Amino acid sequence: MNGDVLVYVETRDGAVNPSSLELLTAARQLADALGGKVDAVVAGSSRGAVEALAGIADRVLTATHPALEQYIPEARQALLRSVIVERNPAIALFAYGVAGLDLAADVAVRTDRPVIDFCTKLSATGDEIEATSLIYGGKLRAVSRARTPAVAVIVPGAFPEAQPAPTRRTITVEIAAPPQLDALRTAFIAETRPAEGEVDLASAAKILCVGRGVRDQASVAVARQVADALGAEIAGSRPVIDNGWLGKERQVGKSGSRVKPKLYLAVGVSGAPEHLEGMSGAELIIAINTDAKAPIFGVAHFGATCDLFDLLPALGERLERGQEA
Amino acid sequence: MQIGVALRLIPDASGELEIAEGGKDVDREWIDLKLNEFDDQALEEALTLKECGGATVVALAFEGLGADRLLQTALARGADRAIKLRNPLGDDPPARGAARLLAPTIRDLGLDLVLTGVLATDGINGQLAPLLGATLDWPHASAVSGIRFDAGAIVVRQEAEGGFSTTLRVGLPAVIGVQAASRPIRYVSGTKLRQFIGEKFAPMGSDADSGDLGTELVRLERPQSEGSAVMLEGDADTVAEALHTLLIERRLAKGAPR
Amino acid sequence: MAASTVVLWTLVFATVAVFGWRLRRLARAMSVSAPAARFDNPSERLRGVLCALLHQRLLNNRYSGVLHALIFSGFLVLLTAIAQSFGSVMFPGFSLRSVGGATWIAWLQDVFAVLLTFGVAMAAWQRCVTRPPRFEGSNALDAYLIYVLILAVVVSMLIEAGCRIAGGDAALGAWRPVSRGVADLLGSVGVNAAAAADGQRVAYWAHICAVLVFLAYIPGSKHRHMFLAAPNVYFRSLAPKGMLPGAPTQSADAANNDEGVGQLTWKDMLDVATCTECGRCQAACPAYAAGLPLSPKILVANLRDEVIGAAGDASERPLAGGVIQQTTLWACTTCRACMEVCPVHIEHVPKVVRLRRRLVEQGDVEPMLQEALSNLQQSGNSMGKPARARARWTKDLPFKIKDARREPVDVLWFVGDYASYDVRAQDGARKLATLLHAADVDFGILYDDERNSGNDVRRAGDEGLFELLAQHNIEALSGRRFRRIMTSDPHSLNALSHEYAPLGAHYSVVHHSTLLLELIESGRLRLRPADGAVVTYHDPCYLGRYNGGYDAPRRLIERAGYRLREMARRRENAFCCGAGGGRIWMNDGASVERPSESRIKEALALDDVRSFVVACPKDKVMFVSAVQALGVADRIEVRDLADLIELEGDARSTTPRSVRRAEGRG
Repeated sequence: MNGDVLVYVETRDGAVNPSSLELLTAARQLADALGGKVDAVVAGSSRGAVEALAGIADRVLTATHPALEQYIPEARQALLRSVIVERNPAIALFAYGVAGLDLAADVAVRTDRPVIDFCTKLSATGDEIEATSLIYGGKLRAVSRARTPAVAVIVPGAFPEAQPAPTRRTITVEIAAPPQLDALRTAFIAETRPAEGEVDLASAAKILCVGRGVRDQASVAVARQVADALGAEIAGSRPVIDNGWLGKERQVGKSGSRVKPKLYLAVGVSGAPEHLEGMSGAELIIAINTDAKAPIFGVAHFGATCDLFDLLPALGERLERGQEA
Repeated sequence: MQIGVALRLIPDASGELEIAEGGKDVDREWIDLKLNEFDDQALEEALTLKECGGATVVALAFEGLGADRLLQTALARGADRAIKLRNPLGDDPPARGAARLLAPTIRDLGLDLVLTGVLATDGINGQLAPLLGATLDWPHASAVSGIRFDAGAIVVRQEAEGGFSTTLRVGLPAVIGVQAASRPIRYVSGTKLRQFIGEKFAPMGSDADSGDLGTELVRLERPQSEGSAVMLEGDADTVAEALHTLLIERRLAKGAPR
Repeated sequence: MAASTVVLWTLVFATVAVFGWRLRRLARAMSVSAPAARFDNPSERLRGVLCALLHQRLLNNRYSGVLHALIFSGFLVLLTAIAQSFGSVMFPGFSLRSVGGATWIAWLQDVFAVLLTFGVAMAAWQRCVTRPPRFEGSNALDAYLIYVLILAVVVSMLIEAGCRIAGGDAALGAWRPVSRGVADLLGSVGVNAAAAADGQRVAYWAHICAVLVFLAYIPGSKHRHMFLAAPNVYFRSLAPKGMLPGAPTQSADAANNDEGVGQLTWKDMLDVATCTECGRCQAACPAYAAGLPLSPKILVANLRDEVIGAAGDASERPLAGGVIQQTTLWACTTCRACMEVCPVHIEHVPKVVRLRRRLVEQGDVEPMLQEALSNLQQSGNSMGKPARARARWTKDLPFKIKDARREPVDVLWFVGDYASYDVRAQDGARKLATLLHAADVDFGILYDDERNSGNDVRRAGDEGLFELLAQHNIEALSGRRFRRIMTSDPHSLNALSHEYAPLGAHYSVVHHSTLLLELIESGRLRLRPADGAVVTYHDPCYLGRYNGGYDAPRRLIERAGYRLREMARRRENAFCCGAGGGRIWMNDGASVERPSESRIKEALALDDVRSFVVACPKDKVMFVSAVQALGVADRIEVRDLADLIELEGDARSTTPRSVRRAEGRG
């Protein structure tokens, strides 16, 4: 075993997924601590992805085979298993998502390594890694240790995206496709892209929810602008939906959607139990309500009692400026 | 066609969770164990497949607190058989050990397809579907939201991020990690449930497993932002500034941290 | 034998045959439906029929009651005319003359003919001009046909009598002022005696035909109620209002496997055939007012159409989910307002519950309700909170409530789900605990052995789950020593008082308003009366309509020093908050205006009223929500009964901080 860190890189349409770039930052930190190199595994022919990794990884390991052109779990499992066995990195990193679910634990069993899921922090010393993981949907954290070589699955957003270092030389290595790829028991049939304009609050990473406090349709429009500047989906509590200011698909609460976004900005929402049921699992809850005794402050992490009609434009302006910068 | 569903009882994460003395587990005194919601979906999907194509459904659960009631409920919902497995690893065993305990029984039963929930929120050392698939050396796929039979194999829809989904054909036998069943979970009335209350299950399977995961849990802790809200003071401009900074720091908004 | 006799007998036979044939489907339905034990207690049953005949409920709507009384009494009197007309020809020699058929009976016939006509005119006026909303969805054509037929009978009778008088029967004319008027009219247009005799014969046969056509028409008309209303009232349920039909253990049997009329009883069949589509139930229904797809009247009419069937054979559709839509069945709050106002004592709620049972067995349960029922199955409460956390609300109290599982108590307090788990209702529980403690009452609770009483589970249609919960509670209560049970939750009150009895458990149960009043009147609870602030009081369905508990809360309010200003819809006419029947566990997104919001608006319309007093934890939750949704928290506050009571003197120090905060002090 060496001090190398191997990252499974996910790509789409020739671009590297942001979560994979985040993995590479973590990989660099770990590899530096262990005195090893960062290997990025890219499955299938993806010229754009390989180029994007220049200056970030030390080595880009690519493999081509018809079975790797589309996402087939069994094929990727076989590839990673073969790469990990051959190269024996101290740590293999996956991003939490479908690929992370399909691949990390499989590879861990097949190469007899421990695996740690849901990591938000990861550090390495000598022959051990220490990870902090989110459990129970983020209600608690678990700190655990494992002997290397090990596998870890990192939650998106835990690390910043890696930037290319101008002085780093990246070499591309073509690796042989493992023989199992010719005898797969899984076949790819089709991929479906998401429909335009469909809103799925449950999978939104950021949500701006307006409540009764916004008072009218016009203010909802202001809130929508702020949501756009923030890259968030706009949602409403029940009174807002009842008044017809937003469609039913945007309702958060017991009789609407249950959401667990990274950011939940509740503006003019009082926080009735039925609403809290729909959003109290959000990672970061910020509440704005002129009533300091509003129940929403019982679940919010940050709050303010200033008037939302002043705050929304002020915040929107700053967000838009930040985007331009 | 025999479908097995692996059902797990895990601490109910929707309530308040406190850390037990010793810091290595949740305080189990005040909480109930509930069926993992994704395992619930897996059971419903198995029952859907049974109704479409005449398969038989076997419910599998580990012995422990609430196991009997869980299996009785599975039978009331329509499972044909319920099996309680011996469990040396305690309530809510980690998935890796669970996979090792399940594998021999699954082979013995000659199951063609094993469904289980895509994840358990307390599973920090791997999720059951891939671990089980790898242990059995069967093909597996997770995050599946629809299964149908197709000439000796199954066709599954796998949900990726951002609204993308992939349709795959998986040869049997296979393990699938179910995210959502093809139909909403049907209600089983108290009357049906009462028919099965009183069923007993003799534990099967081996109870030899060290439970070694290769990892050691050091401690559980609460996330930093706990307790009541940190109130931001000042007028709208001041608060907006503070919020903007906070969002940037947390990488929720673009901009250079100051 | 005279030809007319033969003809009349033939006509009568034919009509009766048609009448019977047209009722065949009702008869068949009644024979295949489930049994119902309604043959007990004849004197009580007859008493009810008498009250109905005296128009007790009908007169609640004065205009309609009066017009019906006119028509009804007119019919009764005109029976004599019909007896005379038919009898004199069918049984030659028969005549009412000997008992006054040509004298005072004739006079009554004339007078009541006018009254009857006046009644019909009032009815037509209401239907065509006033157009009350409760007639929306009713069959107007049927009504008009009835008016026409009634008038035909009346007019033909008057013309016949008029012709007789014009033909020379002056003695009759002395007794029949109206008919004499008709005779004079005929005379003035030149009808002579001979023509009058012909006219009399024609009018006679017209009268006969009108009656026979009427008779043949009735089976397909809501005028069936002429014959069916009295029996329907006679066979009404004498069981306590709060006891649903079908003991739990019996319900999980053949009835549940039937998708058609076998699910309902023969009394249900009689009910739907008796309905007059008056719409009073529809006007009282909170679900209908909220814009939900439920009208008790239309539900009954749809069942009737299926059972008696205007169109051919019974359809293949199942009753629950087919003939009656699922959304209709789930919309009912079981508040019983419909049954309270129905003049013919139709039993709407048990029908809804029986059909819900079918849906539940099939697994077709409204999604949010399903979650609540699953939670009840798993943790014994509808919120899905841990069973062990049930008594957590007691933590903040400065004293420990006795554990009735371990020690004997005088009063066992059955707290209920909402007061235990919902933050909006917990303060009320804490205040009540404080009051009981201050009055030195020996009380205790069951802590985490208490489960949901199952009242609304039974109303939601899950008999098996109800039985599971009930048996658990009965076990928890058996072997414990207490004199009586007190509850702050009317739904639990209802279940413990009535629904547990078939399972063998009988308890003495009181509502907390009764207990608090006892304590105040005996001096054990000394309060500081308020300064006469004006409040209004909402009667909870399960305390008021179901269990007659109207007065104790009102006396309590008075003793606490408040002035009560009543809303229009009060006591047995109180307007449900919308939570009952499991509705609180369901999605009410389809409502146009929630019943709770309508009720708050009703309270706001009263001058000076700043407090809306409730006596049920679900009411508290619903109305607090409504006040918030309407944005009127600065104008009205929802308060528990217990909240109104302020202890005198130093009792204040034992009031927990959370209660003081809620009351705005400290």
